[in-house]
Amino acid sequence: MKIKEHQLGLHFLFILTVLVLLFPLVYALSNSFKTLNDAFNNVFSLIPREFTLQNYIHVFTRLDFMRIVGNTFFISTTVTIFKIITSLLAAYSLVFFNFKGKNTLYFILLSTMFIPFTVTMIPNYLTISSWGLGDSLIGVLIPQLADVLGIFLLRQSMRGIPRSLIEYAQLEGASTYNIITGIVIPLIRPNIISTGILFFVNSWNEYVWPVLILKTKSKFTLSLALQMFISSEGGTDFTIAMAVSVMTMIIPITLYLIFQRYILDTFTTSGVK
Amino acid sequence: MKKKFAVILSMLMVALITLSACGGGSSQKDATTSADGKIKIEYWHVNAETQGGITVDELVKTFNESQDDIEVVAKYNPDMYKGLMQNLQAEIAAGNHPAIVQVGWAFLDYFSNNFEYQDPVAVNEKYDQEDPTFLKDNFMPNILDLAKDSKGNQVGVPYSLSTPVLYLNRDLLKEAGLDPAGPKTWEELNEFSKTIKEKTGKYGFYFQEPADNWATQGLLESNGAKFITDGKATIASKEGIAAYQFWADMVADGTALHTSWDEGMQSFVDGNVAMAYTTIARRESVQKGAQFDVATTTSPAWEGKEINIPAGGCFLGITAVDDEQIEAAWKFEKFLYSVESVAKWTMGTGYVPPRTGVDTAEDGLKKFYEENHMMKAATDQMDKVVPWASFPGDAGLQAEQILLDVRDQILGGQVSAEEGLTDAQNKINELLK
Amino acid sequence: MQKRTKKGKWDHIKAFGFFIPVLLVFTIFVFTPFFKTLYLSFFEWNLISPKKTFVGLSNYIALFQDPVTVKVLSNTFVYILIMLVVNFIVPYIMSYMMAIMLKKGQNFYKGAIFLPYVISLVVGSILYLWILNPVSGPIGLIARTFGIRLPIWSKTDGLVLLILSLITSWKLFGYNFIVLFAAVNNIPKEIIEVAKLDGISNWHIFKDIVTPMSSATGIYVLIITIVQGLQQGFTPIKVVTQGGPNYGSASLTYQSYHEAFTLYHIGKSSALSVLTMVLFMVLLALEFYFVERNVYYEN
Repeated sequence: MKIKEHQLGLHFLFILTVLVLLFPLVYALSNSFKTLNDAFNNVFSLIPREFTLQNYIHVFTRLDFMRIVGNTFFISTTVTIFKIITSLLAAYSLVFFNFKGKNTLYFILLSTMFIPFTVTMIPNYLTISSWGLGDSLIGVLIPQLADVLGIFLLRQSMRGIPRSLIEYAQLEGASTYNIITGIVIPLIRPNIISTGILFFVNSWNEYVWPVLILKTKSKFTLSLALQMFISSEGGTDFTIAMAVSVMTMIIPITLYLIFQRYILDTFTTSGVK
Repeated sequence: MKKKFAVILSMLMVALITLSACGGGSSQKDATTSADGKIKIEYWHVNAETQGGITVDELVKTFNESQDDIEVVAKYNPDMYKGLMQNLQAEIAAGNHPAIVQVGWAFLDYFSNNFEYQDPVAVNEKYDQEDPTFLKDNFMPNILDLAKDSKGNQVGVPYSLSTPVLYLNRDLLKEAGLDPAGPKTWEELNEFSKTIKEKTGKYGFYFQEPADNWATQGLLESNGAKFITDGKATIASKEGIAAYQFWADMVADGTALHTSWDEGMQSFVDGNVAMAYTTIARRESVQKGAQFDVATTTSPAWEGKEINIPAGGCFLGITAVDDEQIEAAWKFEKFLYSVESVAKWTMGTGYVPPRTGVDTAEDGLKKFYEENHMMKAATDQMDKVVPWASFPGDAGLQAEQILLDVRDQILGGQVSAEEGLTDAQNKINELLK
Repeated sequence: MQKRTKKGKWDHIKAFGFFIPVLLVFTIFVFTPFFKTLYLSFFEWNLISPKKTFVGLSNYIALFQDPVTVKVLSNTFVYILIMLVVNFIVPYIMSYMMAIMLKKGQNFYKGAIFLPYVISLVVGSILYLWILNPVSGPIGLIARTFGIRLPIWSKTDGLVLLILSLITSWKLFGYNFIVLFAAVNNIPKEIIEVAKLDGISNWHIFKDIVTPMSSATGIYVLIITIVQGLQQGFTPIKVVTQGGPNYGSASLTYQSYHEAFTLYHIGKSSALSVLTMVLFMVLLALEFYFVERNVYYEN
């Protein structure tokens, strides 16, 4: 009997957490189908008084939405792949090689996480535009090809791999490439995935840097499109902003739902022992 | 061999970086002339979709279609004039020059001090032989003067013109047994708010609190205060302190709401606040959202005093540097100031036309005004418009910030208006030295 | 491939070779700008003026004398502290509850809790501005039916810090939770079963077995929570309060942005950035010294 109450209490806690976390999403979804008037005057009801697609229609007629999604997707995927590869290599070097100044190098790299982004913004803008990459997708993604956080996470997880395993493989004559792809990557796959998600989502929602670089509407990313509907002087068109928000969420959420099983599986069956 | 993985990868990245650097070289040229030999100019604006973004696109499209050798590219800058100024700083530092930029009034002096710009009147004379006095013929002198900096240079031409008006929830006013025409003076507004709070339990009034002191200037200067006299801050005069304290007192006794701009306007639109003092540029969003009988009325006066309200919005500055670009910029600017374009601009945004001859022209706004009574309050008070107080010199932006900091202190009740304003005034004058 | 005798040398070259991509990107886009910032922190400049005035240490001195710096610094620590509780301690405990104590529904909860993470904080901030509007939002309206007027949080010192960090936490909670859950779930169940049979309480299992055994991940989440408190917290500040009321919600990152891009005090902003980095480097060094060496790695 006691155990049952115990479980009930736990479920109550988790359901409450889920409700608190998901309420804003449901709120956004419901408001994206409301008229502005409805949104202002029908605050409580999550069901629109008059269901309208007008907000979505407006966004689709004003923006080349598929293109914007494509741009965002291109930037986020490229950034994620490069960040993973560069971090993987650096982390491998940190864990399995010994060289002078290793710890100092690591420490310096880690400290850069604490530099406010304002420091790099303008100099990088000048660099990018001196390369003639202003107003281009490449210009947005180039400074983001490496990330300390990735080195940090992958290093943490690689340290869980027994050294003897690597040494044994080396004795067997396996090349470093084979060791990385054959031993390291499979062993730390869940960590690679969680780092990848982090990179993808961050890049997907990045809004300060692309604003600086991109000018032409055909090159906009989703978070820039969102900002077109937010204005302090004219007022934010809440329902349209919510429609854009819903559309910015759809792709990461779908990706997550598709891969969720796989992601969670790798999390739970990971072989790091 | 595969073990050279890292080397290959880094070479790949070097290649990507150099490739894009070289590839960019050619696109750099495109910045001034496009592939088909047209002169390409950039027009930087802040107009989000809710604030004329659609009209900007329409105007640019119409212009481009009418031109064989000029192509205008519009760049939207989020975060209003501050955001545009940030991007402009970076762009100029990188050695690029947009042709025309919208500059918020608060940045008038900062812009003229720090950026290279063309005097529009001179550009008009030099590049427009057919119509060398276009600006002088079509703009009232007091309106053109709005875009003169503290040294008297003509920095640009007023474009988006707004004034603060009083928005009314007539249903709430009626419910509280008040005159639905709204208060005419600030003193009356205070009485109205008290009655509303007693009768309906709702807030009587919200005074806009954006990241500038535009409307605040209207409140204080209508009471006879001056933000700036002879290049010095004089905000802490008897009149200035009295007006500010009036506002703080309303907040303190709970008749006025003290909150951020977006939250405050949300509360007005959904009927929790009876009156709101904010820009006419919000007209459309208020109208679209409000379920009650909504109206506007002109800025209240202080009893027995003249109304002085600052012009809001922006002017257009020409930042093009070479002849070809300047000429193209002028052509586009002249197009933007045609009766037709200005009429479209007003209809799309709610801004008041900066030039003459639009209000009454048949292809102008005659019909629009007849149908949109809420615009009347803004056009009616155009003769009371004064320049936005733009503090001179490089410290101007910081001076503006000091006034924002003190706003939170006074309205939050941490200091009295007298202490706060006197302190702020001293700090500003210290800076301006 | 390589001869055993040459192995040492080869390894050295390879070790550096593997760093080339990262170092390339970092040299161009992080280190160079940082040194430039360090250099600029000794000047007075507005970014575009041809004239840079050398002012020595006066930007730093100005910062130390400015009461705003103290306020911003303490705000930053409050942000980080709240986020450490909400985004590190709470999900740690909850991941234990889910991995060890909860019998059913794990997959559903995991999926649902993670969802907000994919959303941009700009969207989150706008949403919360509506939901938490003390006069017009749903919560404010409910409170009013009970005759309560909620405080205007965006203008109330202290409260504004709490709400803004909750907005940031709302987004980041799910990620931290999933990562911690994976680590806790990876601890061999037998160890915990044995402990349970011995009658050890859940709290002690958590404290004495689970935390030490998942500490490698724990450290990771701890550090990213601090980084996020410093960096990601920027967005809601910018969208909701712009640092107000009277710097009541400004963090170091926001203030550095504000000095640079609202006031164009490049020198002062640079000095603040340098100080921020130095401060956190010290914290990081302490972490290295005291925590890292006690971390459990599974070999």
